[in-house]
This record gives sequence, C-alpha cells and structure tokens, in this order.
Amino acid sequence: MSDQNIIELKDVEKRFGSFVAVSDLTLSLKQGEFFSLLGPSGCGKTTALRIIAGFQDHEKGKITIDGVPMKDIPANKRPTNMVFQSYAIFPHLTVFNNVAFGLRKSRLSKAELDQRVNEALDMVELTGMGGRKADELSGGQRQRVALARALVMQPKVLLLDEPLSALDKNLREAMQLELRRLQQSIGITFVMVTHDQYEAMTMSDRIGVMFEGKLMQVDRPEVLYAQPCNREVAAFIGGMNFVPAELIKEDGDQLQIKAAGFGTLNIDVNPNVRERGSALLIGVRPEQLEIAATKPEGYDSTIEGTIANVAFYGESVHYYVEVEGLTDVVSVAVPNYFHTVDYKSGDKVWLGLQNSSIIDLGKG
Amino acid sequence: MTRFRRYLPGLPAYAFAYLVFLYTPVLLLPVFSFNDGTIVAFPLKGLTLKWYAQLGAQETLIRALFNSLIVGGIAALASTSLGLFAARAYVRYRFPAKEMSEGLVMLPLVIPGIIVASSMLIMFVSIGLKPSLTAVILGHTFLALPFAVSIMKSAFDEFDQSLEEAAYDLGETIIGTFRRVTLPIVSPGIIASLLVTFTVSFDEFVLAFFLSGNQPTLPVYIWSQIRFPAKLPNTLALGSILLLASILLLVVAEYFRRRTSKTSI
Amino acid sequence: MRSEASKGLALSAPASLYVGALVSIPLGILVVYSFWTQTYVSIDKTFTAVNYREALTDPLVRHLLVRSIFIAGMVTIATVALAYPIAYFIAFRTQKKTLWLLLITIPFWSSYLLRVFSWKLILGFNGVLNSALLSLNLIDQPLTFLLYNELAVVLTLAHAWAPFAILPIYVSLQKIDPSLLEAATDLGLSPAESFFRVTLPMTVPGIVAASLIIFIPTVGDYVTPALVGGSEGKMIANLIQVQFGAANNWPLGATLSLIAMVTVGLVAILFVVLATTAGRRIR
Repeated sequence: MSDQNIIELKDVEKRFGSFVAVSDLTLSLKQGEFFSLLGPSGCGKTTALRIIAGFQDHEKGKITIDGVPMKDIPANKRPTNMVFQSYAIFPHLTVFNNVAFGLRKSRLSKAELDQRVNEALDMVELTGMGGRKADELSGGQRQRVALARALVMQPKVLLLDEPLSALDKNLREAMQLELRRLQQSIGITFVMVTHDQYEAMTMSDRIGVMFEGKLMQVDRPEVLYAQPCNREVAAFIGGMNFVPAELIKEDGDQLQIKAAGFGTLNIDVNPNVRERGSALLIGVRPEQLEIAATKPEGYDSTIEGTIANVAFYGESVHYYVEVEGLTDVVSVAVPNYFHTVDYKSGDKVWLGLQNSSIIDLGKG
Repeated sequence: MTRFRRYLPGLPAYAFAYLVFLYTPVLLLPVFSFNDGTIVAFPLKGLTLKWYAQLGAQETLIRALFNSLIVGGIAALASTSLGLFAARAYVRYRFPAKEMSEGLVMLPLVIPGIIVASSMLIMFVSIGLKPSLTAVILGHTFLALPFAVSIMKSAFDEFDQSLEEAAYDLGETIIGTFRRVTLPIVSPGIIASLLVTFTVSFDEFVLAFFLSGNQPTLPVYIWSQIRFPAKLPNTLALGSILLLASILLLVVAEYFRRRTSKTSI
Repeated sequence: MRSEASKGLALSAPASLYVGALVSIPLGILVVYSFWTQTYVSIDKTFTAVNYREALTDPLVRHLLVRSIFIAGMVTIATVALAYPIAYFIAFRTQKKTLWLLLITIPFWSSYLLRVFSWKLILGFNGVLNSALLSLNLIDQPLTFLLYNELAVVLTLAHAWAPFAILPIYVSLQKIDPSLLEAATDLGLSPAESFFRVTLPMTVPGIVAASLIIFIPTVGDYVTPALVGGSEGKMIANLIQVQFGAANNWPLGATLSLIAMVTVGLVAILFVVLATTAGRRIR
C-alpha cells in the first residue's frame, strides 16, 4: 500500500427519481489497498461501486482514477474491472474463453494470449480447467473464473460486488483469506461491496460504512470497532450496549458524564464524533464487561443486576442482565474458557466496567 | 398437493377424452389421405398413395406453396427483429408508457380477423398498394408480432443482465457485446421465434384471402380447392403434409425454446 | 451513457409504431370509408350517414350481430368450461406438465382452415361420424342435426380455441401457492368449498383473459360459419366479407366492420366489469 491515491470521488450524488441513492460521496482510495464499502442492503454501496465502474451515471460530483477524470469515459474504457455478484460467467463459452474474453480486443498474439490466460488461471488455482464449460463449474470455481477474467485485464482497480454472498459458509470463509492473499500478492487496489461486517473486517485495510446513501465513517477495522462515529455505525459493527448519559464537564480529551445506571464516569473523547450536546450516548462492547457473583475489585465502576436471559453461542456465553435505572437489558459476553455456563435466569450478579472501555458516541 | 389427489378421480379420464377430442379432427386428415376413394366416410376402402403423387403435378399448388414460403420467411424475419428489440426494451429498461407499448404490441391477438383484413385492404388500396404478397407480408408481420414479442420476452427474462455488463466491463463495445454475448445466448429464443412466427404466417387464411389478390398463398389455394369434392383427397394429402411439417417445426422450436432456459443457469 | 428511458423507447418504438400505425391508419380510413357510398365500381365521396342508417335498420344485420354475439358467447363458455378441468389437471394432477402442455398445443399448429374443414367432414350427412355410427349399427339413419347449424360452429370453435383457454387458466392456477389450499383445508373447508372460495376466485384473471382472447376474434370469425355453419350458423363476418367480395360495397362493409367492432368492444368491457365484480364478491 502506498499513500498515493488511485481513486478520488468528490461530492458524488445519484438520484433515482426522488430517491437519493448516494449523496455527497467524497472518498479517496489508496494505491494497493483493500477497501470495503459496508452497509445494509439499499444503503447505496452497490450504486457507488457501479458509479466507479461506469455502469451508473451520476448527477453531481467528480471521479478520477489514477489522476484521470472519468467523466465521459464509458465502462468499457475504464481501467477498472468487476467481479459481479452473480459472477456473470458467459454460459456459451468455456472457462478459457471466458477468461480470454476481454483480451481478444487487444490484438495479442495467440501465444501471448494463451500465456496470459493460463497465468490468470494459475493465479486463481484453476490450472488446466480452461476446457471446462461454464455449466460444469461449482460455485467456488465460478467465482475463481470471474476473478481470473477480471484480473487478466490488469486493471488498476478491481471492483467486487458482494463476491462471496453466493457461496456457502465454509467456502466463504476460505475465500475471504484467499482473496486477501491474492490482493496482497498482486498489489492492486480492491474495492469490495458487502453487507457482512465480519467479511469486511477480516479482509479490508479500510472500511467505509454507508447508511441511506451517506458515507458515515471511513477507517481501519479496529478503529471502526473501537471508535465508531455514531450509534448507527456502532450498532452495525459488532454488539453494543447503549446507555444514555448527561455531560457534566468537558475537559480537553476527557469527558465527565453521568450515565443512567452507572452513575458518574470519566471517559475519553472519541475523535470521530462530530456532534455533541448535553445529552450524550455512550456504548460498551459486551465483551468489555466483567460479570461476577460478588462485587468485583479493581474496576472504575460496578453495578448490581439480575440475569434475565442466557444465550449459549459455543465460543462464548451471552448473559442479558437487568439493571436498575436502565430500560434496556445489558448484554455481557464471556469467553467459554472452561465449558461452563455459570449463571442462570434470576441470579443476582455484579457487573464491572473500566472507564477506558466506554465509548463516547456523541449526541444522544 | 398429494392430499388433493383423492378428489375428482375422473379427472385423468376426462383429460384423455379431451385429448381424443383435440386430436380426432387433426388425425382424420392423414387417415383419409391414404384412403382409396373420394368420399370421406367409413369404412375405409384401401390404401393408396396416388393422392400424394398427384400433388406434384399441380402448378398452382407449387406456386401457392412458394408464395407462402416467401411470405412466411419475410414475415418471420420482420416480426422477430421487431420483437427482439421490443422485448429487450420491455425486460431490460424502465421507460415512459412502457405498459401501454407492451399492451399495444399484443393488440393484433384480440382484433377480430375480419376487421384487420377489411381495414387493411381498404388502407392498402387507398395508398395505392394493390393486393399482393407485399400486402400479405405487412399484414402477417403485424399478426405474428405478439408471438415474437412474448417468445423473445421469455428469452430475455432468463438472461442475466450482468453478463452484458461483464462484457462491457472487459472492454467490449456495445455492439460487440451484443454480437459476442447477447446474440449467442438468446439465439435459441430467436430461432424459436422465427419458427413460430413462420408457422403463424404459413397457416393464416383470412388476411391472406383479402390481401393476396392474384398471388394466392397456400391456405387461400386450399380454400379454393375445398369447394370441389373431386379435389378432396388431394386436399387431404396436402393437409397431411402441412400437418407433419408444422409439427416438425414446432418440435424444433420447442427444442430451441428449452435450450434458452437451460443456458441461463 | 444514454438514459434508460431513451434506450427503452428507441428499442420498443419500431414494434409499437408498427402496430400502432397498422391499427390506427386502417381504422381511420375505415371510418372515412363508412361515410362514403359505392355504386358498382365508382365511389361517391360525399359524406353521408346512409350506410349507418341502412345497417342499423336492416333486420338482417341486427339478426346476424345478435347471433354472432350469442354464438361467440356460447363458444367462449363452452371452450372455457371444457378447458378448465384440463388446465386444473395439468397444474395439479400431473408431473409431466411440459408434455401435456405440448400435447394440447400441437393440434393448434396445424392449419386452422383444415381443422375446421375436418369438422365438416366429421359432422357431415355422409361424414365420418355418421358413417362410423351406421357401420356399427348404432343408428339406422344418418343424424342430420350435426352439421350446418350453430352447434357445429360452437363445437368447431371450442376445438380451435382450446389452447387459448387452457394456457391462461393454467398460468393463473400455477401461481396459486399450494399452502393457500392447505390453509383453506386447515380452516375447515371441504375440497369443493376451497375450490370455489380460493382456487376459482384466484383464477378469475386467467378466465377473463381466456374469455376475451376467444370471444373477440370469434365474433369476427369467417371461416367456421362459412364451412360448418350453413345458413343457420352464418355470422356478421360473412356479411362483411360479402360486401368486400360479391356485393362489392366497400363503404357498407366498412360500416359493418365498425359496428361489429364497437359492439364487440362494448360487450367485452361489460364482461370484464361483471367478471371482476363477481370475482370480488366471493368471500
């Protein structure tokens, strides 16, 4: 990855009638990064990807790829290639001819063309499969053909539209690692659209989170998880307990607040928060809470509650705890180290919390 | 669903009886075309092929057949081309008055034949086009269009739009994309449409009767023969050949229509 | 990139303009013609409503029109009633749907003219049916009520239109989610009740489509009444054809065509309104 920008979008807007699919999209993508656009369905992420590819026109704004403005450059002339959600493998062509499809326009010699196609097939581990027909391929193989067909064009940017959504769970996890490995070895920029937060987090250098046509936050996965910019982003990525609070005092990068149930707390300012008022919202990740039968020592804040519900997830156990002063139950995740479920509904428990694990989410 | 199997046990029997009803008049023609006698009645009098043998010598028949082939061929090409583009628009794009346009192209199916025929006759004569094969071709293209549009619509329905985008994305031009991707994939649909529209034109009578003037098509020729009882066995033989040809065409069309749905997986 | 709307319009324009032109221009000219008059070969282009007066006062026209509507109505009812069980059978009772659909469409692709003609041969005085019954000694004189009447027209057309009735009804039956019928059973309905309260109302669109596609062209049918209808089965189309043929009175033919079309249109609209209200009233 370098600091040079390969794609720049500035104030891009797309409307379908009165529906605003994408608004004020400003985004710079770095050369060689794996970038994901993450959001629920209908948030405009696919539209944004198709605008970059040139399949979708846009009313306002500017796009440059590698310094070249893309206005008036149609999809077939752009230095981008796409892996489609359906993979769009040409059913009337063999694997080889699918991969060679775009190269046939470039007047390569037959030897060169064969070499390029075979290299691409090797790269996606489909060596020797060139003669297969499209309808003889498994889901995973179709995805590899789609990848090879796009990569053989040596695009400056590879666009991937929900590339893993058509695969079953195990294959999907294997392909996540493989796509990441492939991107790192080729070194070109990948832009992936996905609605799956785990997929985005495991694969990406950076993630852009979109809601209702707006890009909410762009950050590295761990920053996105630790310092989400608002309630929506915090709720979409991972589990989160939300607690309303009042601002008592703001002091540099510290806030003194009075939180419902937990009382007075001193927490760090979240630099990603854009708006802050006297009414605040704070968040605590379920795995950051300690749960104990007796009042735990060494925590900045402790609170008593009653177990309302227990959910066993295998790798962890989630306890849902009713706490006086809070309308929502507090969710606590405990790693399943000893294969035990320690509490049951109705048990009295204590929760322990460090100030450093409380996330400031700005205006409540 | 199996739960309902119990009720109405007579239904399969009815279905078979209905098939007998459907096929009797159709199969009657070939049966009596081999009958050695001019009266179509039981009992059959013995086998002969002479009615078939006589057909080749009838010059007006050959000319009518030729006319029908020309009319059917051109009308099939014209209606399938119009239907191909229209169906693509209906399946692929949203545009103003789309539903009106989709309804309009189906209109030829529901206008009484006599009204289409009489009004077209008057129009062609008014603009100075004498009744001729050209007039019949124009009329048959009109009548066959709904068939072409619906066959092509189902062909495009099964066609994944991202295939075209993929080709375009890989650097192909719009025309190149159509030639290298769209056409090969929907070609079974095109062939099915050509065969069906050809058959529609080939069998059409009323319009051809009004518009063909002194260049009769095959059905117009048959109509002129039906009146003469002596020619009856020849007409039966001719009808049997046409029946066989139509069924062959239909089976081929069905084969190609199914290929469309298979390739879309 | 051109907009979706302009691409769609450009691609669909040739087909819709072609149909639009070949519907509106001939009809326009037909309207003009209907106000002219013709004596032998010369056409008098002074505007006059004399054709309409003649057509509307002539008892023969009225008689033929009423009979055409009546016969077309009978044909529609007979075809739909005969076809519904077949559509039902194909939709729910057989695994070989494609085969059955193919079987019922194949006869349709043989020449319409010859199929009608074949009925004439079957139903005739010395025809197939009579000769078969005679040689089996089931009757001792040929049956005369078979050919050259309204019944023959209805039978022949019920045969000719079969796929046009079966296919739309089949499609609407096919759309019914089987769990709806299970729900009806679960709520205590007998099979007959769930047919009349779930299946039948849900197939009203298919029945309406089938009826229109049969009724409208039948009113204007010319071949069948000419071949098997006799004098008792003649319809309005035969009269129209005579004006363009032997009688050589095109303006009157145009007038009759228009009257027939308007009548058909009105009856069709009335039918759609009645059928949809009836469909909605089932609870």
